[in-house]
Amino acid sequence: MLENGKISLRQFAILVTLFTVGDAILVLPSVMASQAKEDAWIAAIVGEGFGLLVIFLFTAVARLNPGMTLVEYNKKILGTTLGTLLSLLFLVYFLTCAAANIREIGDFMATQSMPETPNQAIYIMFLFVVVMGIRRGLEVIARAGEMFFPGFILFVILFILFLLPQIHPENIQPVLAEGMKPILKGAMASSTYSSVQLVAFLMIIPYVNQPKHILKSFMSGTFLGSIFLILLILLTILVLGVDGTANNTYPSYALAKKINIGKFLERIEAILALMWFVTIFFKITIFFYSFILGLSQLLNLKEYKVLALPSAMLLMVFTIVLAPNTTFYHNVITWYWPFFDGTFNVLFPLLLLSVYGLRKMVFKQ
Amino acid sequence: MWAVAGILAIAIVIILIEVPRLLQRKMHKELWVFFTLLAAGTGLSIALELHWNIPSPLYLMIAIYKPISTLIYGLLK
Repeated sequence: MLENGKISLRQFAILVTLFTVGDAILVLPSVMASQAKEDAWIAAIVGEGFGLLVIFLFTAVARLNPGMTLVEYNKKILGTTLGTLLSLLFLVYFLTCAAANIREIGDFMATQSMPETPNQAIYIMFLFVVVMGIRRGLEVIARAGEMFFPGFILFVILFILFLLPQIHPENIQPVLAEGMKPILKGAMASSTYSSVQLVAFLMIIPYVNQPKHILKSFMSGTFLGSIFLILLILLTILVLGVDGTANNTYPSYALAKKINIGKFLERIEAILALMWFVTIFFKITIFFYSFILGLSQLLNLKEYKVLALPSAMLLMVFTIVLAPNTTFYHNVITWYWPFFDGTFNVLFPLLLLSVYGLRKMVFKQ
Repeated sequence: MWAVAGILAIAIVIILIEVPRLLQRKMHKELWVFFTLLAAGTGLSIALELHWNIPSPLYLMIAIYKPISTLIYGLLK
């Protein structure tokens, strides 16, 4: 086995939650408000509900070949040639997603907090931590998640409580003014930003110590993350209004600036940024980990950790060339990325399931 | 030029960190993969630094998903 570590169900659920919240905590409300207007929160509920369905799909795929990762059973189910091809596509997907998330950190730092620092410096600092996590292995990543989690939950609860006084209920009216279409559009964005990227966990499921109960912990992790995202979207719209949310690239950051308790507790947005770094760190690490582990399994290597440093260099280049400017990037994210995620998280798992079923039924293998 | 030197220095540091252990344990296949990745990373970094025009891989993605995106978002307009 390449990965000797074992993680518990609880650690797995925590990783899923942090991953689901990921970059969505900062960017999603804006996308949702521009797609679904006042009904962004309904769209979020629909989208996250769809995300929960996708979890069933993932667990079904994982159960076909217990103890094997995605890359391993691609080969087993589809045969060597097609399986390798599909695994390669998945590796490209993992790397692209990792690069996109790092890029978002760079954009955020450049526009909000460190405008004079070159993006590359921020990428290098962040990649350094990610590589450190990967070289320590899955167990350490999971334990780090467990450590950050209580702080994350505490902050989320305080954040919501502190913002309650500033809610304007009229901001979400009228409900369903434009019918179902904007809701579907928003639901697509909401699911692909959060749960419909969880395919990377198919690389981790074999290392959970009680694989029988994986569905429950996968579900509860996604559910918790989804609830948080729905509340966050509802809150941004209630406080900032639709236009304020849609026109702001980082609405929850603006939201945190609004917190003012007795002119004493204010400007706590840096803590929100910190929370975002934590969640996006886990997202990037899991994508990058899946890439490295997948590559080593594809090539039958004996160790995956040696690939972390050189791959990080590749990832860095990938992050820089990913998009020439922010407008281009946001265009792609809004119009094309949902389908990219859909292909890898819905279409390909369905393909694996049906090919497996066909082989079972027709060839009795 | 300094940036290129810096990139090469990082590559050398990475080699110093990983390669001795790999050589000691005679992991030749791992060495090959390691150097391929490192060469790709270093080469592309230097190319970027010299302002070569490397097209974004996302253009490929746009080309692939353009039809379905136009269709779905057209329906939802």
